[in-house]
Amino acid sequence: MKNIYLIISREYLERVRKKSFIIVTLLMPLFMIAMMVAPSLVMLYNTSDQKQVVVVDRSGLIADNLYETPEVTFIRETGMSKSEACNIYNAESGIFGVLYIGETIEARDSVQLITNSSSSMMLEENIAAQIESIVEREKLKAYNIDNLEEILANIETNISLATYLNDGSGEEEMMESTSTGVNYILGIVLGMMLYMIIILYGQMVLTSVVEEKSSRVIDVMVTSCTPFQLMMGKILGIAAVALTQIGIWALLVLSASKFLVPVVFSADVVAANDMMLGAALGTITDTGYLASLFVYLTLFILGGFLLYASLYAAAGSAVDSIQDSQQFNSIIMIPIILAIIIMMSVFNDPNSPIAFWSSMIPFTSPIVMIARIPLGIATWEIVLSVVILYASFVATTFIASKIFRVGIFMHGKRNSWRDLWLWIREK
Amino acid sequence: MDTILKIENVSKSYTGHKALDDVSLEIPRGAVYGLLGPNGAGKTTLIRIITRITMADAGRVLLDGKPLTAEDVFHIGYMPEERGLYKKMRVGEQAIFFARLKGLDSREAERRLRAWFKRLNIAEWWDRKVEDLSKGMAQKVQFIATVVHEPKLLIFDEPFSGFDPINANLLKEEILGLRDRGATVIFSTHNMASVEEICDHITLINKSRNILSGSVEEIRRTAGGNNFEVLYRASEEEFLAALGNLATRTTESRGTVGGYTQTRIHIPNDEDVRGVIAALNDRCNLRSLNEVIPSMNDIFIRTVNGTL
Repeated sequence: MKNIYLIISREYLERVRKKSFIIVTLLMPLFMIAMMVAPSLVMLYNTSDQKQVVVVDRSGLIADNLYETPEVTFIRETGMSKSEACNIYNAESGIFGVLYIGETIEARDSVQLITNSSSSMMLEENIAAQIESIVEREKLKAYNIDNLEEILANIETNISLATYLNDGSGEEEMMESTSTGVNYILGIVLGMMLYMIIILYGQMVLTSVVEEKSSRVIDVMVTSCTPFQLMMGKILGIAAVALTQIGIWALLVLSASKFLVPVVFSADVVAANDMMLGAALGTITDTGYLASLFVYLTLFILGGFLLYASLYAAAGSAVDSIQDSQQFNSIIMIPIILAIIIMMSVFNDPNSPIAFWSSMIPFTSPIVMIARIPLGIATWEIVLSVVILYASFVATTFIASKIFRVGIFMHGKRNSWRDLWLWIREK
Repeated sequence: MDTILKIENVSKSYTGHKALDDVSLEIPRGAVYGLLGPNGAGKTTLIRIITRITMADAGRVLLDGKPLTAEDVFHIGYMPEERGLYKKMRVGEQAIFFARLKGLDSREAERRLRAWFKRLNIAEWWDRKVEDLSKGMAQKVQFIATVVHEPKLLIFDEPFSGFDPINANLLKEEILGLRDRGATVIFSTHNMASVEEICDHITLINKSRNILSGSVEEIRRTAGGNNFEVLYRASEEEFLAALGNLATRTTESRGTVGGYTQTRIHIPNDEDVRGVIAALNDRCNLRSLNEVIPSMNDIFIRTVNGTL
């Protein structure tokens, strides 16, 4: 036991003291925020030039009703045929393209956009929507309804759906307000975080074993402690590093939620804005809820990391260099990537059979389960998932230690899966 | 003889070649025991079998008469040939880590280590990182980490490689000091000079086999084979006549030293040595007659070439 403790503290201190650890720990939350904000920033600033489209309208209905948008303006050409327009407004003219509308609008191939360069989805949708609404209005007019414009304005409706989770109390105020949108993002963030940490720290275990093997420190180590002590010391030492990192993040996020966010976004700002933002701020400032998420996160990260770390340690023991580890590494990655794919589908229906089973099967469970938790999952499911996860960690560690025990002594030989299988069965 | 470690009929094959072939040897307690042999003879394999890093295909290793266990190995001090230290770690911290792994508490470890660092002139490197050390200095650190817990059995694989003569000497003194304090030391080398100076016993391994074992003194005497170097002043006929049946000349004249002819003779029977001296003295103006004791280097080369 004393040896394991010594190895744990060596592995831990070596990593935690590094400047890179401190930098990564502090920069990662900023990076995560940037990742979330970046898409909307891109959308905001990615306004392409307004395009000019020449309209040749043979139906006589559309051209006058098309209106200018930030994406497109229209030049009406009357009395010009399609081929004439295409000849005049070619690529050199600086015009984006020609919109041709046939006599019977709804006929097949009757509305055409002939462009001088590649088209864009947004533009096509914009034009199609405009034409559709023009045609719809024309059809409505045929019914001869009085005050049509007024009625149309009057019936326009916008609904925002507020969701609550039924906790059986029957009182709406007591029920936890749930916003799928916010929890969806939260789920993705948590799942991605788990994915990153498992891979990052799992690889760290692998690298650490391979380095120890290639620098021959291993010879001194194995004449001082058992291979099992060495393996567990490494895994637990690196696990402690991961927990330290999460601990610091939890501290940063929770204190921001408690002190920073309420000040920056005061209540009237929230009131003035829409429900979605309100719900998001509600979640972000609910420090207790965030703290409970961090507890789950820690549980699943630890379990998931330990499960995979033992496999990474076994893989590292079986090779002489990082390059050689690829064949094992890629196999270990498969369930992790599978978990990410399943996680993405989980949000459509958090209680689908695939979501349920993949959060029970230990190799995918940490990532899928943590992503489902913000969506409101029965406690028994979480408990069962955690129990299975930790039980399988014990099993994989047992198997991995058998591989490790033989693998670390092997030098200069490329080991195959068959070799590993033989080592597991060796007494 | 009080044997601390006994190796019985150990064999080991790797794919395609035999690293050790039925090797047996006994290591006396309190000795400095040298494992000699050319590169690739199987020395390191034997050491790795003793430290249980490699498993033997056949044969066994006994410590104090009992089969060696993993637990026993944890108390051995072992310095591998390819030195292994954690590069990113500070020197002092690392030495303490290894010392504690070997069972010392941290305070005792630091006290002993500080003393050792001072003794080997590397005290000022305590707080530096291992990657900043030169090869020789890293080796000193490794040496200290190997001996600091004062094990009763020490194994060094090529301890002198990478040292300049001054530091090699320093290390020799320390190894002898450890033996004097009761440790048994096994080391492998192909540096014969160091063997003559510090080994009590040797085993010569060549092509995976133990081809010569015993105390250094005995081996040299046996290998000497009653050869003598003589200086005399006389004609060749007279000299050969004086030797008679008692001795034979082994080399032609090797030139003259101060007017005396120098040559080597072989006297098969010890009791004839006095007779030969008397005859040479009477008839050939004998100036000197010295027994030729071969150096370990000669023995090594001659044994390996199969001419001994």
